[in-house]
Amino acid sequence: MIARRPLTAIGRRALDGVDAALELGRVAVGTIVGALISYWRGPRRRGEIARQMYFIGNRSLLFVAVTLGFIGMVMVYQTCLLTTQVVDGRGQVGAQFARLLVLDVGPSLTAMMLATRVGAGIAAEIGSMKVTEQIDALRMSGVTPVDYLVVPRFLASVIMTVVLTMFGMAVAWGAGGLTGYYSFQINPRTFFDLSMVAPAHVWLGMTKAAAYGAAIPIVAGFCGLRAKGSSEGVGAATTAAVIGSSFAVLIIDFTISAIGLIIWGAGL
Amino acid sequence: MTARDGQAAVELEGVGKAFGGRRVLAGVSLTVPPGGRLGIIGPAAGGKSVLLKLIAGLQRPDAGAIRVLGHDLVAAREPELAALRKRIGMLFQNYALFDFLSVADNVAFPLLHAGVAADEIDARVAARLRAVGLAGSESKMPAELSGGMKKRVGIARATVARAELVLYDEPTAGLDPVTTSKIYDLLRADQAETGSTAVVVSSDVAAVAAFADTIAMLHDGRIRWVGAAAGLFDADDLVVRSFARGEERDGAAVLSRSVEAARPAPGAWP
Repeated sequence: MIARRPLTAIGRRALDGVDAALELGRVAVGTIVGALISYWRGPRRRGEIARQMYFIGNRSLLFVAVTLGFIGMVMVYQTCLLTTQVVDGRGQVGAQFARLLVLDVGPSLTAMMLATRVGAGIAAEIGSMKVTEQIDALRMSGVTPVDYLVVPRFLASVIMTVVLTMFGMAVAWGAGGLTGYYSFQINPRTFFDLSMVAPAHVWLGMTKAAAYGAAIPIVAGFCGLRAKGSSEGVGAATTAAVIGSSFAVLIIDFTISAIGLIIWGAGL
Repeated sequence: MTARDGQAAVELEGVGKAFGGRRVLAGVSLTVPPGGRLGIIGPAAGGKSVLLKLIAGLQRPDAGAIRVLGHDLVAAREPELAALRKRIGMLFQNYALFDFLSVADNVAFPLLHAGVAADEIDARVAARLRAVGLAGSESKMPAELSGGMKKRVGIARATVARAELVLYDEPTAGLDPVTTSKIYDLLRADQAETGSTAVVVSSDVAAVAAFADTIAMLHDGRIRWVGAAAGLFDADDLVVRSFARGEERDGAAVLSRSVEAARPAPGAWP
């Protein structure tokens, strides 16, 4: 009898986990189907996608610029320190940095930043609507909450994550170039060298950015829709959204990188 | 098939619901005829709102059968439930107004998603807002409204689509007696106009007893008593009578204020 309690608790947690995974799957499929078909059929809130693009994109500009700018400076500084300790490889830093930035660092770090800011925002907004019964009120009008709330954020996020990634990469590259010039006297013409960036790198980087942009609102929307109770529940949903979105970014990064390696091999 | 074909508008049989192992409802059976007015009373956190959400198809029961407007809610899939919900109006306990939409857009929302023409929406929204005394507040946002105004916007939204069944969750909670009286007059007038069925959950026993033709008391997750509203205060069941009168039983206050004081004059009973 005593041993049954922990077993029951474990079983309940396992069932909750399965239930959550199925629900996440339903939100993901519903969002993609909604973005392709159902969102465009029913009445929509005018300007909603543009409003979400502003929230996700414009409101994140400074945040992404500062973060990616500092990361670019630190990476170039540390790389230059290392390359000058053995042989003077400063001439290669700019080209290698551009390759790394396009292939992985730019999209992944931009997405990590958006997972915190945008993921938390979406989960808090939808979570608040859930605990104040606004989601139930939507359903009473025959409206699907995923179509009405998640789909416009999904479309806006896919577009703006790609745009912000390009912007973030440009800022990081520029900040890295300035660091290289002022700290290690690397000629800008040498630093801003794109010879190591192949079209495959651009494809992979932009595919990652779009996939991250798709995953963040799905995970955050799912967390918001599962919010329970009151403000405490919204807080828990927001935390779960940040953790879940960041985790999704890492998994997508690994998956797309692995697919890239399979397609392009060691030449990538 | 609609409820007007002769069958009950709402029919619950042995309905049970639990959350995380905590039983909220057990073996609840109720019937509301088309055009009927059912009031549900009971102690706070006793599952009254959950019962309304089960009737609205917003939650599914763990046990039992629910038929609403001719639809089996247990067997129905989400698209069928979504279509059915368009025939049901609901006032939520905490208003549930969309905080990103103006008063007029909130009231227009069910019509917009029911495919009603734009000029018809404008006319019906204006008429509804006039009826609830909020003409001139069309462009205000929910954050600018008082609790009573929000409640009235919620009522306007719940009734604007002339639903066959309207569910009211605490329509007068936190309101002063004058506003409470006005709101019940409004619900009565609405029902007379549309012939809809009404289910009201309320802690205001006197007011709901004056509005409803039948009262059901939910106690400990079960229906403790069902009967004509006029007989509520003289019910044979001691628990029901004590609750309705706001008297203490077994040392526990079951209602915070005396209902006798708020009880309307005998002539005012339906």
